[in-house]
Amino acid sequence: MDEKYQYLTFMGLRFNTANCISTLLTALLVFLFVFFTSRKLAMRPGKGQNLLEYLIDFTNGIVKAIMPGDEGKPFYFYIFVLFTFILFSNTLGLFLEVKFNGITFTKSPTADPMVTMPLAMVTLLMSHYYSVEKWGFKGYMSNFIRPVGFLLPINLIEEFTNFLTLSLRLYGNIFAGEVLIGLLLNVASSFGILTAVVAAPMTMIWQGFSVFIGAIQAYVFAILSCVYFSRKLERE
Amino acid sequence: MANGLVIAANASLGDSIFLIVTFILLMWLVKHFAWGPVTKMMDKRAQKISDDLDGAAESRSKAEQMAAQRQSELKNSKSEAIQIVNTAKENGEKSRQEIVTAAQTEAAQLKSKAKVEAEQVKTDALNGAREDVGQIAVNIAEALIKKDLNADDQKELIDAYIKGLTNADETR
Repeated sequence: MDEKYQYLTFMGLRFNTANCISTLLTALLVFLFVFFTSRKLAMRPGKGQNLLEYLIDFTNGIVKAIMPGDEGKPFYFYIFVLFTFILFSNTLGLFLEVKFNGITFTKSPTADPMVTMPLAMVTLLMSHYYSVEKWGFKGYMSNFIRPVGFLLPINLIEEFTNFLTLSLRLYGNIFAGEVLIGLLLNVASSFGILTAVVAAPMTMIWQGFSVFIGAIQAYVFAILSCVYFSRKLERE
Repeated sequence: MANGLVIAANASLGDSIFLIVTFILLMWLVKHFAWGPVTKMMDKRAQKISDDLDGAAESRSKAEQMAAQRQSELKNSKSEAIQIVNTAKENGEKSRQEIVTAAQTEAAQLKSKAKVEAEQVKTDALNGAREDVGQIAVNIAEALIKKDLNADDQKELIDAYIKGLTNADETR
């Protein structure tokens, strides 16, 4: 793609301003959402509280579907924040695409592998952490030679493929959506008013579909996180 | 995996660190401002609902118990009423019997008493008559003795006496 980003270097690390601003914006939106829906909590929930409680029930349901019972309890909160954050960031790039002097400043943060990889990393590190906590370090290590010893290399490779599939699936889906929206915008501005009229409904359709894809991908990310947690927590 | 490394090589690692920091910060804020209070409220509500359900079940069973008690009491009072009526009937029958029996015995007593009295009167009358007859006989004898007795008179007198005797026997 011909997108240009501004890079900053700080303490030897490169920062993409577009990713940083969008991540911050997403986090801010998520926080404002939960903040304003959780004011005036009552036994009989109002509109906002209802919405938030529905979302919490939904994410709890994702965990319960994979891990029924008490072992899923530590993950309820993480899955809730993860799902909400990914949902908001997937949707952000669909309506907010700020370009200044040809440099993009906001987009979906999840349309960059450098953002989806740490998310997957957090999930997998958490799964390893809870595995060690449950089985002890020895038990955790012995899980790699289960159910039989010669599966050790496959189990090790699986850890990397889990990480890559989890992060790159999300990245690929959202990035493709952004690319297509960028192309449709190019079409719209290529031959004046005529192409704009043609491209506008197509963009709308694709944006609607992208909202669907974004929700599905957030759901898939959350449910796969739960699957990885549960696989580390139970032995066949 | 090679693909991932290639992407990582020409991308910016700072974004990842920035994201993790932001994400952890977001988690903390969400937990503090929303998750904690909301889940507490949801738990409280779940607790209240389950309490209410328990209470409802309890009061329902209590009401059923009371209804059953009422029913059995009603049944008891019905049978009691029947019993009372039956007892009253029985008592009435008994006293009727008693009264009838008493009346009968009294009547029988009166009857026998009357019979005895009538007998007495009859005996008395007979005794009285016998005395009178004796007196009459004596009077007749006195009268005859005062007269002269011839053979015909004698015979006549004896016949009359005998006749009088048989007549007295017949009347007795």
